[in-house]
Amino acid sequence: MRVILKTRPRKKPHVPIEAEGIIPQNFLRKNDLTVYEGNRERNLEDLFFVTVEGPAVSPDQVEIILTGDTGRIKRVGEYMNAGRIIIEGDIGMHCGNFMSAGEIIIRGNADAWLGREMRGGRILCEGTAGDYCGAGYRGEKRGMRGGTIEVMGNAGDFVAEYLSGGEVIIHGNCGDLPGVEMRGGTLVIGGNCSRPCGNMTGGTCMVIGDPGELLPSFRRNGSTEVEFGGKKFRMAVFRGDVANRGKGTLLVKEEAIISRSGRDERL
Amino acid sequence: MRIEDVVCPFCGCLCDDLVVSVEGTKVLSVENGCTLATEKFTGDHRLAHPIRRTGGAWEKTTYDDAIRETAEILLDAERPLLYGWSGTFVEAQTLGVHMAELLGAVIDNTSTVCHGPSIMAIQEVGHPGCTLGQVKNRADVIVYWGANPIEAHPRHMSRYTTFTDGFFVKSAFRERKVIVVDIRETDSSEIADEFVKVTPGGDYAVLTALRMIVRGKGDLVPATVSGVTREQLFRVAEICLSARFGAIFFGLGLTMSRGKSKNIRNAIELTEELNRHTKFTISPMRGHWNVYGSNEVFTWITGYPYAVDFSRGIAFYNPGETTSVDLLRRKECDACLVVASDPGAHFPRACAEHLASIPTVQIDPHVNATTHLSRIQIPVAVTGIDAEGTAYRMDGVPIRTRKLFSTGYPDDVAVLGRVYSLVKEAKG
Amino acid sequence: MTQGILIKNAYVIDPLSGIRGEIMDIAIRDGRIVEDALPGSEVIDAGGCLTLPGGIDSHSHVCGTKVNFGRYMSPEDMRAGRTSRKGVMHVTSGYSVPTTFGNSYRYSTMGYTTVLEGAMAPLEARHTHEEFTATPHQDMLANTLFDGNWSVMEAVREKDVKRAAAIVAWTLAAVKGFAIKLTNPGGTEAWGWGKDVSHIHDPVPYFEVTPAEIISTMIQANEILRLPHSVHLHCNNLGVPGNFRTTLETMDLAPPAGGDRQTLYLTHVQFHSYGGTTWRDISSKSEEIARSLNSKPQVVIDMGQIMFGRTTTMTADGPMEFKLYMLHHNKWSNHDVELETGSGIIPVYYSRKSLVNCVMWAIGLELALLAKNPWQCLLSTDNPNGAPFVKYPEIIALLMSRRMRENEREEIDPRTEHYVPLFALDRELDWYDIAVMTRAGQAKAMGITRIGKGHLSPGAQADVAIYPLKPDNLDPSVDYQQVMAGFSRTLYTIKRGRVVARDGDVVVEGANSTIWTRSRVPPEYDMGSDPEFTRKFDQYYTVRLRNYPVQDVYLPRGVCIETEAAL
Repeated sequence: MRVILKTRPRKKPHVPIEAEGIIPQNFLRKNDLTVYEGNRERNLEDLFFVTVEGPAVSPDQVEIILTGDTGRIKRVGEYMNAGRIIIEGDIGMHCGNFMSAGEIIIRGNADAWLGREMRGGRILCEGTAGDYCGAGYRGEKRGMRGGTIEVMGNAGDFVAEYLSGGEVIIHGNCGDLPGVEMRGGTLVIGGNCSRPCGNMTGGTCMVIGDPGELLPSFRRNGSTEVEFGGKKFRMAVFRGDVANRGKGTLLVKEEAIISRSGRDERL
Repeated sequence: MRIEDVVCPFCGCLCDDLVVSVEGTKVLSVENGCTLATEKFTGDHRLAHPIRRTGGAWEKTTYDDAIRETAEILLDAERPLLYGWSGTFVEAQTLGVHMAELLGAVIDNTSTVCHGPSIMAIQEVGHPGCTLGQVKNRADVIVYWGANPIEAHPRHMSRYTTFTDGFFVKSAFRERKVIVVDIRETDSSEIADEFVKVTPGGDYAVLTALRMIVRGKGDLVPATVSGVTREQLFRVAEICLSARFGAIFFGLGLTMSRGKSKNIRNAIELTEELNRHTKFTISPMRGHWNVYGSNEVFTWITGYPYAVDFSRGIAFYNPGETTSVDLLRRKECDACLVVASDPGAHFPRACAEHLASIPTVQIDPHVNATTHLSRIQIPVAVTGIDAEGTAYRMDGVPIRTRKLFSTGYPDDVAVLGRVYSLVKEAKG
Repeated sequence: MTQGILIKNAYVIDPLSGIRGEIMDIAIRDGRIVEDALPGSEVIDAGGCLTLPGGIDSHSHVCGTKVNFGRYMSPEDMRAGRTSRKGVMHVTSGYSVPTTFGNSYRYSTMGYTTVLEGAMAPLEARHTHEEFTATPHQDMLANTLFDGNWSVMEAVREKDVKRAAAIVAWTLAAVKGFAIKLTNPGGTEAWGWGKDVSHIHDPVPYFEVTPAEIISTMIQANEILRLPHSVHLHCNNLGVPGNFRTTLETMDLAPPAGGDRQTLYLTHVQFHSYGGTTWRDISSKSEEIARSLNSKPQVVIDMGQIMFGRTTTMTADGPMEFKLYMLHHNKWSNHDVELETGSGIIPVYYSRKSLVNCVMWAIGLELALLAKNPWQCLLSTDNPNGAPFVKYPEIIALLMSRRMRENEREEIDPRTEHYVPLFALDRELDWYDIAVMTRAGQAKAMGITRIGKGHLSPGAQADVAIYPLKPDNLDPSVDYQQVMAGFSRTLYTIKRGRVVARDGDVVVEGANSTIWTRSRVPPEYDMGSDPEFTRKFDQYYTVRLRNYPVQDVYLPRGVCIETEAAL
């Protein structure tokens, strides 16, 4: 089954839409899905042109295509457990919250909290991602626990905060403090960032580009070789964050360390 | 008439020992208060009656009309924001929250531009704190981090820390060591025993280094961290560790610089680490008068201290998403009620511009920067001068303000109560 | 006020009136129980269902600075129990530390009409009272903290019981408190220096008084003031393996009372009944504690039962919370209150996989099963420390059904039975015992039967709970699921003569009372004009004496119990 949701023009295009109902399992049977536009409950049809093609007997046979002015739509794919969602443009916050299986493909950019508290499945974002990509919720001790998020462009601050399992791959640059409070799982940063892995207690983070300023609380622990994007890199291995009794692993390109050694007395 | 033990309506210190002389509805003098207090009591830019903007000009309107129109604006909105609340009292804040739940509005207070990051950090790691008297009576080490009390909280040092004697600190000036951490010299750093100058944005790393030293991993600390020498870091750690009772106070220099909530979290974790060795507490220097009261009220009614979104009926909270500055920057809101604060003066330009482009109503005694963004302004009595109610001090101690005289202005509860009634009526 | 309610065919258990399960009618008028109903009264047919006086919680943390900080720091807890505005019901959030309305609605739908807040710091009393107003379906009372009160400790050092009594009288009246609460007496002051006391004869730093001296002096002061409740004590060494010795020694401090009044109320005793020396060999000492309790009619305890799952611990016992933090390394909040007390908060998870937690779980139940007299052991979880109060129905069911306990035995750490006597206990409590342990006992222990709480005799306050349980057709030892469901949700909760909740929904806006005490003392014992007291107050507190007392405006429907002090 193919469900095409094309946004209708709105009077107040900046008012966010919350649409946690847009997940494959909800389209198996004809039902009256509602979404919220600000504080107003609306029928799905009030905000979208809905086209359904073909049948499906299980959610993994459902593909949802979201198109139009979609950058303000939040919570798409929340609790998704099968099937596929393709977003042709940008997507609003909290896309793929708690998702446990299936696939979300975003052709444009994703707003903050992409894949928050994700449990499994795969998210591919071809553009950039906002802050707190693959992170958790306020006050909670665990962020993303499983699955994969891959972002082809850059991502914002606090990427993979409290990461506890699964894999987050950012091909471009990250902002400040990626992998902060990280406790498990893997974070790969293809580009640059600053202050990676503050307070981490577990898991592995690898920075292929310039890690910027490193925190003083990581202890050098040999070298290793890794592969990323078909190329091999010689990486310096650090353990930390020792300020937080951490046992995480931070890999930083050896050249980045050498080129910085003039400025940083520790290395 | 001389009125004693008056509670100051200006900052989060809530000094309650002011002596105010009044004649009729005029304040003649203020004793014990700082200059900020005196200004607040004697300042006079009060709006005489409700005003309404028609076309480009202001016209006088009645309370009845202004209140009715306010209710209509809010009822009509799909994403209304009720912002401010720090300059008013708890009873008014309570009404605001109940109104927000009926309207499906976002309600937010000035934490959004001050200690919101501190709240986020506390939600991650907790908050080892105390009332200010605990510091006054016991503390032999005081740390001001990213805060300049002499300017922002002028009596903080003389009432609670550096310059006041306490039960176990008989001679404060001699017995208390003061450490000031900041990115530049300030009036407060002048009087510090130890001034730690950090390169801008470097607080997080400095805090990390101190945590390492306190837990015996100082060997890893490089020769300098964010402009602070290894020697000074060890010296500061030693001062803290040999304290009998240490108290850290932090300000916007820490909450609003690079790293934001993570800076505060790091400072709290340093405090926790120090508690394994001696007694240490940490406290935010809350600026806006009763902002802590609004945090308390929001929390006991909704579960969250600020940035509460009722658009889905239930209370939802997520700073960065439901915080006023972020909502306005994204142009989400289609109406705004501002109560007892001045976002026009404190918000980024883009946010102020959006406020001007939507129906914004201000309930405030004074003409201020927000007046210029508003469609309607309804003047009210000033809490602590001609209205009374509860306020929470920066450390959580609730104090009831005194009403010095009556002016005939309705207070915030009177005005909000009428708006709320209209909203209730409309919502059935 | 309505014209009245007539409840017909009620299966009534009213222990204070000596009614142990009779089908009868109850008439209500003007908020009180009366002999005969007015013509035209609303008739409620209870259809033989269990009808009890409104539930009373004699130790719960629901309002005030520390509770609200528990909410403030826990957005993750808040997203567990969210409801929208519905009819007269406000929005609620939270599971272990719900919002005030959340607490109030949940208590109300469980039939509770009166709750004592377990710990109020006098300096922050105004906050507690503000939250009381926002907990509108229960009459509220505040235990007032004196454990680290400097003036009291100075009076104790001077062995001046009368002065201690005078300080208590002034403070309770000033902050509109109900009773004397001591939390880890002396320990909270030591915590001002990051220290604790480890024994009831350990001197408090600087003040050089011992917890035992504080407790004994305050018991005497309490009796001098003729306060309705006794001293309400959270013993030293909470949660420390081997602490049962401290608890036993503390119980020995309680002097016999005249009549059947208690002189000491020990709260959440489960947390104070541990044998062993470390977390590895912790064991149950409930039998020793119960033996002492059974021989001392002057002591009343509450259980402090823990239930498995997550919750938030919060107490004025600052040093204890720090020890717990060191164990869990989760978030930790602490809030010392100048010249008075402290407090701490940390979230916890009680796990069936943890032997320590399983032993704790067993101890609470054992205390209730081993206490011969249900009036001496009241049901509590020290909400939310042992578990949120919504777990009470499950605890009731466990106490009433050995089979349920045996089922639970299969789920918990199998080693538990080597450390606890629980599974050797056959006793199953009956409906009467439960009625005592959840309302009548509380009313008696708190001394509020005199204002018509906890019973249904004519003149009593018309607080009534009707549960969908028919004791005649139900065997609690087998039908424990039904017992649990029945106590979770009343058919009707009536408070002060009004139906406030029906079938799990609150149906009216509440309007509660706050109950406080004032002891009249001779002028020479009025601390408000005592030069030494007032001088020190203005010198060391950071609020002025005049700004300290809680104004009447904070108690819109205050009920003051006045006593004549024997000074």
